[in-house]
Amino acid sequence: MTDGAVTVRTRKFLTNRLMQRKQMVVDVLHPGRATIPKTEIREKLAKMYKTTPDVVFVFGFRTQFGGGKTTGFGLIYDTLDFAKKMEPNYRLARHGLYEKKKPSRKQRKERKNRQKKVRGVKKTKVSAGKK
Amino acid sequence: MADDQVIAQDLPKAMDTLRDIKTQVDSVTGDMKGLLKKVKDGEISTAKGISFLESKYQLLLSYLINLTYVMLRKVEGGSIRGDPAVSRIVEIRTYLEKMRPIDHKLKYQVDKLVKMAAMGDLSENDPLRFKPNPDNLTSKLDESEAESEDSDEEKDSGKPKVYVPPKLAPMHYDEDTPVQRQQKKDEQARKRALRSSLIRELKEAHSDAPQEIRDSVGFRRSVETQDDRHQREYEEDYFVRLAVSKKQKRKQSQGMVSTLNQITKFGDTSALFGGEGGASSSKKRKRSSKKGKKGAKKGFKKRRK
Repeated sequence: MTDGAVTVRTRKFLTNRLMQRKQMVVDVLHPGRATIPKTEIREKLAKMYKTTPDVVFVFGFRTQFGGGKTTGFGLIYDTLDFAKKMEPNYRLARHGLYEKKKPSRKQRKERKNRQKKVRGVKKTKVSAGKK
Repeated sequence: MADDQVIAQDLPKAMDTLRDIKTQVDSVTGDMKGLLKKVKDGEISTAKGISFLESKYQLLLSYLINLTYVMLRKVEGGSIRGDPAVSRIVEIRTYLEKMRPIDHKLKYQVDKLVKMAAMGDLSENDPLRFKPNPDNLTSKLDESEAESEDSDEEKDSGKPKVYVPPKLAPMHYDEDTPVQRQQKKDEQARKRALRSSLIRELKEAHSDAPQEIRDSVGFRRSVETQDDRHQREYEEDYFVRLAVSKKQKRKQSQGMVSTLNQITKFGDTSALFGGEGGASSSKKRKRSSKKGKKGAKKGFKKRRK
């Protein structure tokens, strides 16, 4: 595969003060190459906007038919704390900042059965201890 | 100075307009004098008339008088700021504007009266003489029965009646008659036949235009459809990716599939040359498309057996 020049352009740039971030639509031109992995795009965006790549979150990349052009979305947070507050967990998990705890199947089913005996808000308090 | 230049430009136009005004005013005064003389001599009686019209021309008169006063003041060089004449002009103008729709509504009456005045009294059978008579709508037969029914109904009408919609059996509605539908089908078949590859190659062979070889996917596909554009804009505005339904996925994949099995199909030109192949050709098309999806699977399974 010829390593053609990869160009990253941003469109529809918007500074979202309410969520302490900058959001934009990211266009990647990569003739002769497969779709660029998200880590590379994050590094390029970090260089463009002079931040570290750990506050840059990109998602939703779709390559156009025929190849060569990919469009996606990008968010650049002010600090990592804001990012941890604002971003959904699955995107944090992609950066390694979140681990989904998954109790075993048996324990989940037991919890469900304990919850069946209680009504309303008390359901959340049910799983406190194994009775 | 710029003012002098503006004045110099406007001066000839102003002189022309003033001259026009003068000639028109002269002619109007002549006509009015003739009319006044006639009225004074008693040739035309003004006793009975439509009062609405009378008020209208009184208003017009006072409007004109105020207007001339304002013009006089301006010509003499005085200012008209805060002059009561200006407010009067505005007031009269509003009245005239409000009278205009009423005028439109009275048009029929006025025309009728003018016609009567011009031609004398109308004859008995003239339709212009009739006015709407709502009494004619009620039936004058069986009045005794109707009265007794009315008394019963009045007792019941103490309770409020519930509206019951009429029960009508739904009927099938055909927009086109069968003949029109057949015509439409023929038109479609003709167009499809003209677009088939046989006819196109014949056209290319006999025409003088240079041959175009295009490598594109087609005009419709290359131009982004409105739906696609709408979807793209929505996605970019709201930073989400919309889920693609199975139907859309199938449509997209159909566009990318190669159609090698269409090589030997030159298109059905029977619509141009003979009229009977139309119906059967449509049936053939349906069967072939079905074969593509499920038929292949079934065929594979059968062969394995």
